Amino acid sequence: MKRYPCSGCSLLCDDIIVKSDGLFIEEVIGACLKGKERFDQVNAQNRITSPMIRKNNELVNASWEEALAKTVEIIKNSSAPLLYGFSNVTCEAQRAGMDLAKEINGFIDSNASICQGKILNKARSQGINLTTITEIINKVDLIILWGANPAETIPRLLNKILFSRGKFRMTGREIKTLVIIDPVKTASFRVMGVRDLALIIQPDKDIELIQMLKEECCSADSIPSGGVAGIDKSDLKRLLLHLTGAENGVIILGQGVIQPHANYDLIEELLDLLQLINTRQAKGRISLLLLGGHFNMAGFDHVALSSYGVSGKLQFENKKLVKSEDTIVSKINKENFDCSIIVGTDPISHLPHSLSSKLSKKPLILIDNHNSATSRIADVVLPTAITGIESSGLAYRIDQVPVELKKILNPPNNIPSDEELLNQLIEKLNGGAK
Amino acid sequence: MDFILNTIRKIDNDQVKEHSFGNEQSLEENLAISFINPKDFDKLNLVSSLHLKISNNQRNIIVKIEKDENVPEGTIMIPVSIWSNQLTEILNDELVYKNIVVSVEATREPILKFKEIIQKIRGIE
Amino acid sequence: MELYKYLPKTNCKECGMPTCMAFSLALLQGKAKVDDCPPLLKPKYKKQYEKLKELLGSEEGQEKELRINVDEDLCDGCGICVTICPVNARYCPPSLSGKAPEYPPEKHQLFQVIDGKCELLNLEYCRRLESEGRERECHVCETYCPREAIKIEYV
Repeated sequence: MKRYPCSGCSLLCDDIIVKSDGLFIEEVIGACLKGKERFDQVNAQNRITSPMIRKNNELVNASWEEALAKTVEIIKNSSAPLLYGFSNVTCEAQRAGMDLAKEINGFIDSNASICQGKILNKARSQGINLTTITEIINKVDLIILWGANPAETIPRLLNKILFSRGKFRMTGREIKTLVIIDPVKTASFRVMGVRDLALIIQPDKDIELIQMLKEECCSADSIPSGGVAGIDKSDLKRLLLHLTGAENGVIILGQGVIQPHANYDLIEELLDLLQLINTRQAKGRISLLLLGGHFNMAGFDHVALSSYGVSGKLQFENKKLVKSEDTIVSKINKENFDCSIIVGTDPISHLPHSLSSKLSKKPLILIDNHNSATSRIADVVLPTAITGIESSGLAYRIDQVPVELKKILNPPNNIPSDEELLNQLIEKLNGGAK
Repeated sequence: MDFILNTIRKIDNDQVKEHSFGNEQSLEENLAISFINPKDFDKLNLVSSLHLKISNNQRNIIVKIEKDENVPEGTIMIPVSIWSNQLTEILNDELVYKNIVVSVEATREPILKFKEIIQKIRGIE
Repeated sequence: MELYKYLPKTNCKECGMPTCMAFSLALLQGKAKVDDCPPLLKPKYKKQYEKLKELLGSEEGQEKELRINVDEDLCDGCGICVTICPVNARYCPPSLSGKAPEYPPEKHQLFQVIDGKCELLNLEYCRRLESEGRERECHVCETYCPREAIKIEYV
């Protein structure tokens, strides 16, 4: 039977069986609950299938000509537009977004810059390996979850990497050791066995643990007897032995460790520790895996790198790329923009109040397909087809492996895909200028 | 009383799911909640019919309360949502979602509604 | 198990079972009665005898069936139960290497994830229905479910 990739989360499982008659999706086999909810969005109660414009402070349905004309009017009346989102769309649509930003002299950035994107650049510059899921299945015997909770965010991850048997790990679960470092006893703790190590650390004390490990990573003799950051001495000894004695290890980092601090940079200290362990280890290496949210969070950096030679955010002036020290947070904070185009995300819900209030004061164009907090305050809402089900394209997984998404159904009302809509906008802007 | 606020993700309390498939009422039921250790529940003299008012130095929210023994003492857990983002902060151009110092008290006032938060964000009271 | 606590734990085999643990499982399944254990009838085990009678109540001796319940509200479709079930693992299926299970499922695959939730397909192949040996106490699916959605019970 034909298998389709799922675009529910950033793991992009490509082995889902979808039974469909071309008009509806009847059954989905193999996908977890998050994937099933993604396939359910086709017939969701609050799906938006027609463009909307704000008139007299209320959103009303409008035709495509009216909505596109209003969008073009807002963009033409602005000189510093902001483009944000781009992690829920394909790589081709990300490329179209960058072309649009170049056309209108805007600033474009994706969700990854306030999430896992920060770690990636630092890790690459320090020479720490990023590893793929197949490598983990076949070679790894130590898995450390630091500040991450995949049982609630990416349900199939633990199934794939912990309970499977690989070519060099034929006894599977018995030979793999799991270490979880977290201040709360989350759902991921329930898959632990007898040989695994559960470390409940005090909140916000990760820096003490990292500094202690850095000092003692050669010998387990001089650990303070009272323990460190709420973890006692015997557990710390076991952790050190695992870290220095593993043949092949992977550290999975989540939101818990990418928080900023006033006096130190937690990410840099952690990457320093990894490098120290890798040089001192007698046997193998420890590598890194970063969890993500939306299904194409890792793709924006790849597209920017191959199209413009810069990894990350892009700022255009006079239709050319220029260097800029701004980030999306500083741009919104200093109100350095006069309109915003949001693609596939919901910033009013996931940004702090001080930023979302500033974002809502300027005209906002939303390109998305379901109801959200941002759609309540947008000036124009343009719906698009759901990627992975109604339109196809390329996406990058959490371990930077590209996966090709396929089309199963036709979108209702002939709604365009994200890439087609952004290219239509570029044409209209070009046509108007001439 | 001073507590530490942590925003977490739970697969049952997901705002994208409620926006797509539910309505404003199910959104408030599933996301305007907080989890607290049973010992702290008793220290604050709480009853399950009361609500919790959580405030930092600029804003406050009022949410339901539930006991959970996996939460460490002195901490409150809230699912990531538009409610929790009334209290998150910015530090050096980066966003802080965990370990925020807040003060907490029991209250009889009703839960903060979704429409009220949207009005606060737009600056209309 | 709670019933095992109140047995003599001498493994004397007078009841016909190899160990006291096996006898306690037979009590739970209704295949044996408390009176089948001769040492329990002696005066020094009187308290334990009465406690066992009280715990089993009127259901003592009634044949009970194995039931594996998957709570639909708690399950999140992670598929760990599909991968870890030893009955399936014996045949080296693709789910053991991190890939998806075959479709249509083979008869030795006890669980399947349909529409985001786990479903039990073939209870008759479960290891707990073997006639003897320690496989009858197998409970890996219940232990490793991260949402505690699987419950093994005798009804």
